[in-house]
Amino acid sequence: MNAANERADQMTVVIARLLASSTNVFHGLASPLPAVAIALARRLHNPTLEYLNITGGVNVPAIRPGVSTCGPSYWTGSQSFFSLTDIFDLSARGELDTAFLSGVQIDARGNLNNSVIGEFARPKVRLPGGAGSAAIVPRARQTIVWRARHDARVFVEKCDFVTAAGNVAWVVTPLGLFERRDGFLHLAGVAPYSSEEEIRANTGFRIPDTGGDASALPPPTEQELSILREVDPDDTRAGEFG
Amino acid sequence: MLSQTMKTTRHKVVGLDEAVRLVPVGPATVSLGGNSLHRVPHAFVRRLAQLHSGPLHVAKTAAAYDVDLLCLAGVVSAVSAGFVGYETEFGLARHYRTAVESGAVEAREHACYTLITAFRASAYGLPSLPVNALQGSDLIDARGFLPFEDPYSGERFPLIPAIRPDVAVIHVQYADSDGNGVIIGPKNEDTLIARAAKSVVLTTERVVAREELPVGTDHIDIPSVLVDAVVQLSNGAWPGSCYGEYEVDPAGVQALQRLETAAQLQAYLREVS
Repeated sequence: MNAANERADQMTVVIARLLASSTNVFHGLASPLPAVAIALARRLHNPTLEYLNITGGVNVPAIRPGVSTCGPSYWTGSQSFFSLTDIFDLSARGELDTAFLSGVQIDARGNLNNSVIGEFARPKVRLPGGAGSAAIVPRARQTIVWRARHDARVFVEKCDFVTAAGNVAWVVTPLGLFERRDGFLHLAGVAPYSSEEEIRANTGFRIPDTGGDASALPPPTEQELSILREVDPDDTRAGEFG
Repeated sequence: MLSQTMKTTRHKVVGLDEAVRLVPVGPATVSLGGNSLHRVPHAFVRRLAQLHSGPLHVAKTAAAYDVDLLCLAGVVSAVSAGFVGYETEFGLARHYRTAVESGAVEAREHACYTLITAFRASAYGLPSLPVNALQGSDLIDARGFLPFEDPYSGERFPLIPAIRPDVAVIHVQYADSDGNGVIIGPKNEDTLIARAAKSVVLTTERVVAREELPVGTDHIDIPSVLVDAVVQLSNGAWPGSCYGEYEVDPAGVQALQRLETAAQLQAYLREVS
């Protein structure tokens, strides 16, 4: 197995385990890894988890992850239609449990930047934009942030621009897991092939002392891997490591 | 006005060029249906890039090929969107990015929900609406959204100005000649933008008799009362997908991404139209 697949599998199982007690979950565009993790969680950890996605699909049984996570396979087999507008309204009412979002920059407070590098009005780099994040992160019960790249350009002390801030609970990377407590990201877990030293060296903000609390994250079990092969036979989850 | 006349007329089927000319000459706001690369009226967008000289304000939640193409054509002055990009595999919308970084295009970034709120305000006949979102986001100041204080509870929320598109263009799988449109699969925000816009163009995979629409009249997504023109355009969402009809054509998307200049784009448009 190559490194990208190993890291994608590790991230996917960590995310799926975080969904064990969620009531409903949402992902948007460009989210193949969370989509696969949700499918795994619904098979293994939380069969009654209500799965919502950007197409308006509800509890879609067998997504076929591909180029896009708002494509036709994210709708086929939907139990009903709950539009993106409905999902935002649910979030505004405080009834969206868990959402997946990411950030081009992620800072020490768990803020996300998907807008610009440099000045907003005349940016050095215009990024795609935060999509739903600025609406969902402050209003959903928890946001799980994932990013397939873990380096000091992504994990910065302070974002150039705060696109979204609020209820980020977890940040999952190939190297480990951050938990947001008291308004700051703390190291909560280390991937089996990584180390606290490697994570500190690749993080642009000072990670608070762990006091030995950063546990080793268990590697994928045979059962998890077997279900992953069923729900994502094309290894789409590794595509984010391109 | 042409659009006012047409709304009272049945049999709204017109050619593509006639429908494109419903977009007012000079500054105009256009909203496009679908999402990302899916069920977007791409054939209309390509013809718009040939016939309109701008400046256009394009408003939609998540854009990709459509906004990227119009930016390369040089007919866009502003984009109101939550996301402009191609998702993981195809990467950034390079033509959009270049246009914004050069100052040619203003990126009016929204959260997708605040854009929906802007369309709702228009659909409700209001100049603005408050939204329960954006807490802690720099977008409030960057975009100049003013605060609204609810006089009953004293709670404060950002107030989002309405966006009233001159034209909403929506690609559907089925329409009748009166302009009753049926969307198969994800409807995205299309029923809302149809109600927010001053006029509506349906491009459709097929025009059928009303009794041949695949749903009952209680399930029409875009009713004729909103619609000004219907254009029969099979493959009208290519190179994006159209649910139940065709998938994304990756080579077709990449052909646009490879172009460098407006002149190359015009050659591309002559070739693929």
